[in-house]
Amino acid sequence: MPFKRTPQKFNAAINAMTLGTGDNAVTIGGASVLPLYSFDGDIGNAPKIGVEISDLGLEGECVGMTEFYAGASTPAEMAAKAEKMPGADFVCLRLEGADPNGHNRSVEECVEIAKAVAGAISLPLVIEGCKNNEKDAELFEKIAAALEGKNVLFLSAKEENHKSVGAAVGLAYAQKVGAESSVDINLAKQLNVLLTQLGVKAENIAMNLGSAAAGYGFEYVASTMDRVKAAALGQNDAMLQMPVITPVASEAWSVKEAMVDEADFPEWGPQEDRGVRMEIATAAACLACGSDAVILKHPRSVATISAMVAALK
Amino acid sequence: MKIVFHIAGGGSIKVPAAPGQNILELARANGVDIDAPCAGTGVCGKCRVKLVSGEVDGERSRQISDEDWDAGWRLACQSTVCADAELLVPATASAFRSGMKVAAMSKEDRAVFEHELTNMYVAGIDFTAPVFTCTVNMEIPTLDDPEPDCERLLRAMNGLGYKSVSYTLDAVRELPRVLRENNFSASLICGWRGEDVLVYGVRAPGRARACGVAIDVGTTSVAALLCDVESCDVLARAGAGNSQIRYGADVINRIIASNRPGGLEMLRSAVVEDTLNPMLETLAGEAGVELRDIVRVSIAGNTTMEHLLLGVDSDPIRTEPYVPAFFDLKGLTASQIGLKVNGSAEVAIAPNVGSYVGGDISAGVLATTLWAGSDFRLFVDLGTNGELVLGNSELMMCCACSAGPAFEGGEISCGMRATDGAIEEVRINNETREPSFRVIGGVEPMGVCGSGIIDLIAELFRAGVLSANGRLRDGARVRRDEHGTARYVIAETENGEISISDVDIDNFIRAKAAIYSAIDTMLESLGMDPSIIDRVEVAGGIGSGINMDNAIAIGMFPDIERRKYGYVGNTSLTGACAVLLSREAEAKLAEVGRSMTYLELSTYPGYMDKFVAACFLPHTDASLFPSVGGENNGVS
Repeated sequence: MPFKRTPQKFNAAINAMTLGTGDNAVTIGGASVLPLYSFDGDIGNAPKIGVEISDLGLEGECVGMTEFYAGASTPAEMAAKAEKMPGADFVCLRLEGADPNGHNRSVEECVEIAKAVAGAISLPLVIEGCKNNEKDAELFEKIAAALEGKNVLFLSAKEENHKSVGAAVGLAYAQKVGAESSVDINLAKQLNVLLTQLGVKAENIAMNLGSAAAGYGFEYVASTMDRVKAAALGQNDAMLQMPVITPVASEAWSVKEAMVDEADFPEWGPQEDRGVRMEIATAAACLACGSDAVILKHPRSVATISAMVAALK
Repeated sequence: MKIVFHIAGGGSIKVPAAPGQNILELARANGVDIDAPCAGTGVCGKCRVKLVSGEVDGERSRQISDEDWDAGWRLACQSTVCADAELLVPATASAFRSGMKVAAMSKEDRAVFEHELTNMYVAGIDFTAPVFTCTVNMEIPTLDDPEPDCERLLRAMNGLGYKSVSYTLDAVRELPRVLRENNFSASLICGWRGEDVLVYGVRAPGRARACGVAIDVGTTSVAALLCDVESCDVLARAGAGNSQIRYGADVINRIIASNRPGGLEMLRSAVVEDTLNPMLETLAGEAGVELRDIVRVSIAGNTTMEHLLLGVDSDPIRTEPYVPAFFDLKGLTASQIGLKVNGSAEVAIAPNVGSYVGGDISAGVLATTLWAGSDFRLFVDLGTNGELVLGNSELMMCCACSAGPAFEGGEISCGMRATDGAIEEVRINNETREPSFRVIGGVEPMGVCGSGIIDLIAELFRAGVLSANGRLRDGARVRRDEHGTARYVIAETENGEISISDVDIDNFIRAKAAIYSAIDTMLESLGMDPSIIDRVEVAGGIGSGINMDNAIAIGMFPDIERRKYGYVGNTSLTGACAVLLSREAEAKLAEVGRSMTYLELSTYPGYMDKFVAACFLPHTDASLFPSVGGENNGVS
């Protein structure tokens, strides 16, 4: 019997969301087929890649990173280089230094950094917080105000701080809200419901469904993303049709394979290569499962994933 | 040192104490019963006592606000003796004790009860009494006719058509005196043992009554019916808290307590000596019958309660692979168990189905006649845990979900059982957020019972005070403590405010989610959806006041037509009563127990996922609740 291909068509689509403004604006989402199933129909906007820089600079980064950013001493200078990184679609500023349990950088200082970064680039900007719920809420409110009109995405609003983040970022300053949950389809949907009940428009929400480095429980991520896409497309569930953005760099570079010194595990090979491979493997897996954008940091990872997207779209 | 306990609405007791002694233990050792459902671990905050004078040692815990601490309120379990002190034990702390009530059944309960017995009869259960009375007249013995009393009675019984007759020792002891006082006439209390007759008692002619008692031994409360078995009349009804409660609020804590040295006997005696025997005496007194006239006993309880009542090690129920000592026991007598009724009385114990689906559920299924019809029914027993049975005459599937004691007011700071002083019905004004409520017994409110909490959460959600993830929104009547936890104040009374906090609401949402996701899982495992259900029968201590609309609005029950829902009362007791009155019901119960299929939710792959989806108001998938409006919608 000859093989008969049956395309999986859906009468629903992932929301398309535009970041940034003007000519350099970037749109993610829009697919009406399963992730990268271009043979079935419209995959909407091809997955996008963000380049992550930290307000803490290049502390502890490997040679490939320090070489790429050579000469850049401020986050703004780094951002200017980041947006030129081949394959970059947007820049992501991670305000690690704001963590009250770390450098505890003040909100005002962070606002200045964010303003400087936004002024230094023409690609869209994504702001990542310090993972402290209260501080993030405060931080996002002030930065959203300072960058009003720039159409910036903030990562992220969580169940604990969704009210203040949603109200400031989504309602008061009409920026984009990232909704972060921890690898659970129901929690993801609940947060979207809460944000929309607050008045944030569904089109202005992107989901960070949570991730894990490949090999560190990624099967949970894969099944959650699968089910989110199945519900969004198959059941036309409007509360799960938000595009998915996944910060990969921070996960991939914080596991043993990416961190241990070559001197301790000579048989594993150079540390930097391992980190890049973890980042690429994780990002590729995320895209295959349904991420509409991934956030990476190493130039080699960005180049590789960019080539992969170009080949598959 | 001396500690004085002043018991609210009771007397005072002065007891000697040593420094460092725990106040809760000291109170118990001296017969002052203080309710501590968490087994004295400082978690539940129910053992509040008020320092009138002197002092006690102890840290302030979260359950006591600064204000209350300054007013002298302490948790008994967290306080120790350090000097002379006088303590007030409020009525709420010993409420479980005040619980013993002999009451005629309420009109609604009686109607439900009679309806169920009738249904069982219609379904084909023969209600021929297993015990009966008969009167015999014998020849007076002479020197020429010196036959012993027993043989003489046997001969007379043979004459009445009873072929094989045997006697209990009690009956033989009563026989000579009764016969000689009544010219060798007597009334007998007899029971059928197959074709044989066993004589339980010998009474003066016309004075015999064949009585029996049906008992539902719940984790939280115990209820009993005293019946004239022969005439099927309910003579008296009583209810009380299970005295085991001071050793823990739920079965797991009880099992843990039973594992301590002497613990098994302690728990057995708590329920038999402190709860059942006083209850039996009260019942008998009320009905004017003698305890020895009670010759048949039928007991239904969950698997753990039945084990602990019989003094059987229940620890294996708690640990994997969760294997109880028995499902079905036959041939027990009252004297073996220690019940103060006729020692030879046969005791029927409702068969268990699984470690967490016990005889209370098999008895409940018997009572609801779910086994008899072709219509598809869902039976939900909201006790200290939730148990569900789904099916009809062809298949019955059951499962237990760890909903916890929230429906009976446990693990809720303002929660209490559905007794006097409990708020059982609540409405909240949309604009002002002001509540209006009804209190059981029409007295000063002391707390909120399960049906009241369902109303409260549904109304708070509807009025927009509560968000879909169960967080209170600031505004009128919402206050925050120093940790930032919000609470909604329902009422302010002399004993402090009655309020429900974010934490309480979380606990309750988890409980309702456990019920809903269990229903969902069971339907899914059969490849069905809620529309298949012809009828939902809700049983248990949550009370007849349960508002089904609100229970659906918070996503506890599936959104199907309201007319399909009904409250069926204490079905465990009704089922036990049917067994009391009929051997055929007893046989049917054994058959029902065997034919139920037990679904273990913890090993069912999708259960956790469904549970998380249900931890939302009304549900993460709002399309499952089309008739439920969102917040601020559908307010009348």
